[in-house]
Amino acid sequence: MTSVRASAAMDRSYKLMLLPASLAVGIFAVAPLVGMFVLSFTDFHLIRGWSGKIGLQNFLRLAGDARFLSSIYVMAALSFFGVVAQVVIGTAIAVGLDRIVKSWRFARGIFVIPFAVPHIAVALIWLSLFTPTLSPITAFFATFGIEVPAMLTSQTGAIAAIVIADTWATTPFVMLIVLAALQGISPDLDEAAAMDGATRIRSFFLITLPLLYPTLLMVALFRFIETLKHFPLIFVMTSGGPGRATQATNYYAYVQTFQSSNVAYGAAIAVFLFIFAGIISFYIARSNARLSDA
Amino acid sequence: MFTKRRTVLAAALMLGTALAGPGAFAQQTEVDVLLFSMPSTLGLQKLAPDFEAETGIKTNIEVVGQDVFESRITLSFTGGTGDIDVVHTPAIQVQRWVEAGWLAPLTQTLSGMPDRDDIIPATLDSFKVGDDHWGIPFFAETGLLAYRKDLLEAAGKQPPTTWEEMLDVAAAIHSPDTAGVVMRAAPGQGFNMFVFPMIMRAYGGEFFADYPDDLTPTFNSPETLSALDVYIKLLGEYGPNGVSSFNFPEVVAAMQAGQAAMTVDGTSIVSQAVDPQKSRFADQIELALPPAGPAERAPALAVHGLGVSASAKDPEAAAKFVAWATSKETMTKLALNEAYPDFTRASIAEDPAVKEKYAGIQADFLDLRIAALQEARSDYRPLLPTWPELGAAMGENVNAALNGMMEPQEALDAANEEMGYILGQ
Amino acid sequence: MGKIRLNGVNKRFGAAEVIPALDLEIEDGEFVVFVGPSGCGKSTLLRLIAGLEDMTSGAIVIDGKDVSNAAPGARGLAMVFQSYALYPHLTVAENMAFPLRMAGTPTDLAQTKIARAAEVLNLSGYMDRKPSQLSGGQRQRVAIGRAIVREPAAFLFDEPLSNLDAALRVSMRQEITELHRKLATTMIYVTHDQVEAMTMADKIVVLNAGRIEQVGSPIELYDTPRNLFVAGFIGSPKMNLIEGQEAQVRGASVIGIRPEHLDTVAEGGWEGQVMLAEHLGSDTFMQVETQAVGMLNVRMDGEVKARHGDKVRVAPKVDKMHRFDAEGLRLVH
Repeated sequence: MTSVRASAAMDRSYKLMLLPASLAVGIFAVAPLVGMFVLSFTDFHLIRGWSGKIGLQNFLRLAGDARFLSSIYVMAALSFFGVVAQVVIGTAIAVGLDRIVKSWRFARGIFVIPFAVPHIAVALIWLSLFTPTLSPITAFFATFGIEVPAMLTSQTGAIAAIVIADTWATTPFVMLIVLAALQGISPDLDEAAAMDGATRIRSFFLITLPLLYPTLLMVALFRFIETLKHFPLIFVMTSGGPGRATQATNYYAYVQTFQSSNVAYGAAIAVFLFIFAGIISFYIARSNARLSDA
Repeated sequence: MFTKRRTVLAAALMLGTALAGPGAFAQQTEVDVLLFSMPSTLGLQKLAPDFEAETGIKTNIEVVGQDVFESRITLSFTGGTGDIDVVHTPAIQVQRWVEAGWLAPLTQTLSGMPDRDDIIPATLDSFKVGDDHWGIPFFAETGLLAYRKDLLEAAGKQPPTTWEEMLDVAAAIHSPDTAGVVMRAAPGQGFNMFVFPMIMRAYGGEFFADYPDDLTPTFNSPETLSALDVYIKLLGEYGPNGVSSFNFPEVVAAMQAGQAAMTVDGTSIVSQAVDPQKSRFADQIELALPPAGPAERAPALAVHGLGVSASAKDPEAAAKFVAWATSKETMTKLALNEAYPDFTRASIAEDPAVKEKYAGIQADFLDLRIAALQEARSDYRPLLPTWPELGAAMGENVNAALNGMMEPQEALDAANEEMGYILGQ
Repeated sequence: MGKIRLNGVNKRFGAAEVIPALDLEIEDGEFVVFVGPSGCGKSTLLRLIAGLEDMTSGAIVIDGKDVSNAAPGARGLAMVFQSYALYPHLTVAENMAFPLRMAGTPTDLAQTKIARAAEVLNLSGYMDRKPSQLSGGQRQRVAIGRAIVREPAAFLFDEPLSNLDAALRVSMRQEITELHRKLATTMIYVTHDQVEAMTMADKIVVLNAGRIEQVGSPIELYDTPRNLFVAGFIGSPKMNLIEGQEAQVRGASVIGIRPEHLDTVAEGGWEGQVMLAEHLGSDTFMQVETQAVGMLNVRMDGEVKARHGDKVRVAPKVDKMHRFDAEGLRLVH
């Protein structure tokens, strides 16, 4: 009897100990989220306030908003090319450092530097590299009489520029995670494959890569969600331009919320992003689970 | 995405807490001031002890980055928390803030100021909404032309006084090493829409049928189209590679490095081009009034002032601070202490010490600046509450035309239609 | 076929010579065990043969063909790793199929080979499982199965039993011996456990500091260790090595007597005191501290009544005594 009561008390005290953390999570994570959902059904405007109207009007407006639809296209391009480039290059560097270059400790330090650079600084660095009058790259090619085309003056170029800057800054993150995963794969497997007659390339594609697959999927998911949040690079490098060609959805949410004071509409865009990220994450997590089970 | 989202929500949530209100306790009078970081505001922060010595009112001046500033004031104003008494008030925000009821009028304070006539009219009028003034200017930036004397002389050209002449001079001096002209082009109400209206107004273009009485957008008028054609031709044919994405830092850098021969931009930008410590061609660059056109000369105007929050704890003390900060004495000190002459009172240009300090830039620099400010219109950018949105719509479409993504007429039509939509027409 | 010859095989890591040049012949069908203390270079030597390490100089010839520069997979050898090195994402069947897939073996032929190997190794019921769902012994068998299907010229085993518990180790040892008999393929087996070496090998190669100390059948090594190192390494408990007067009177620098070649006697011999007695029933192990020759390991058949502190006299079987010179080399009678 006593012990049961004691353990019940213990149970209660554990729950009590969780309380501060739960409150913090509740206040800082859940409350804003709830607020966002609530706002998205209103017509709250920063200046005009709220007329009392509640409904789906923001979401209906989204469906017919050409700027929103084209922002999804921009976001998709930034996410797709960014994630692919980061995962492929990050994996290639990690494999290179782990399996090919032996003095990798030293090299790893260098490769990680960009990851430590703040987003705004990354944006400024690449803005100058993509500004023909400032860029040492342009200057270098100019000495051979080659004119490097301006990147930021066309949609394709500007999207590529943002993808490149993002890739430069975040590939180290991918690399570090893949490197950690690689170090968890026994080198015996490569040797076993070599004994079994596999070339290094086949060994990589048939053994190493499948074993990295869950990690790659995870890291791609992280990167994907991050790329949905693109903002500083766009803000600094292109101001959404040329024209509106690099206004990704998150940037458009900012434009609606802060430039146009359409807080409720901005919240609806944020809700869309949230649900979109959730759905994609769910599918990736599920296929990951399926992979690790099988 | 998440930070933005939180900010929005926090703002919304603060509305709820507004009912609670601030608990005011009588103590020594204090004024809480929120400014965003510029040389003038940092200089003002340094002078704060003078104010306390004069009035016995304690000031807490907080100077923050512009991004932080936006979210701080949004929170404070929507929440009515009363933690800001005096607020940095960019003129382009004033109508919006007044409409939202965030500011208290300063008309009385202004009439109590001994030398109010000294304040340059266009800068003061920028804060007029209805019959009241809602801010008093402490900073003004206007537009000037900067040109390479040596290159113009070599080509036998006089400094351009009109945009038409500017095209002609640019054509004459444009070379692979030095582009004829550089101007900011990046889309945004404070970016390309800070310089484009200089051309637009010169050709007789107007934003609206009859501002502020008839707000029917007229951005697709033939006059504005002529202006846009000039802007596109100037940058497209005589601009450096990639100019159509340039913002002001790239403009400054191009002038300093001798990659472009002329620019028309704000005083803070052109004065960096003639700063011997930063610019390789400082001694070859001359400043002049911005080009005019068939209709008028319309120098750019950007004004910042100080306003008093509608939820100020002690409006009287706050107003006192504003009067002190915008007084001739304080402004003269700022002009002497800081690197830029941002003052909004004409008489300061006559102060011998100030004159001497800025003579190094160019003998008549202060006079040019005052002349441009006197010619500037307070509605250089129409300061409607929706201006940020209107400016973005125009700036983005103008930039699209500049980058060849749209035909000029098409871009102006699109902008005009969006303006109508934004204004609910 | 699986005749392997090493000619002057040498391995350096920078300045350190891990394997000084060595020669070795391994006959077709032989079960050869490389044994030695850890760090003696036995695994490195195996990896040199496998091609997983590059030789610094020398030649490796398999069935008359110089494979010194051939890739590991091209040497016709199969290896069983200490960690098993099974591909975790592949099923048992896929693991076993992997080398065949690499070799481009037609599917149905591969299927037949895999099925046969699975049968031999008792794995038929587990073919669709992943390695993580198998026990240690089963994983070991899969690793062997993956080696078998290739029908290699020789099998290389790198301490394959060290991750198994004692009981399983004994039975796997027998299974591998059995397998060797069935396949009659050359096997090279690396271990630090001299019991495995003695019980499994046709031929033992004793390595020390990268050098071959002796090559011979288990009984040869036991009966006629070439030097002190082999004498001390082979046999359990260890051979007693005696220096000083007792050695000199026999014309040697060191004499060696195996514990089982010492007897208790009523008179003569060396007098001493029992310090430790282990009664296993079948044998009795004693440690006897003597005045004359120091501590002796003694092994007696059956149960011997002896307790700590007992006074005993022990005498060597003189004809079983080993004599070594000052260089530690065996003196021939």
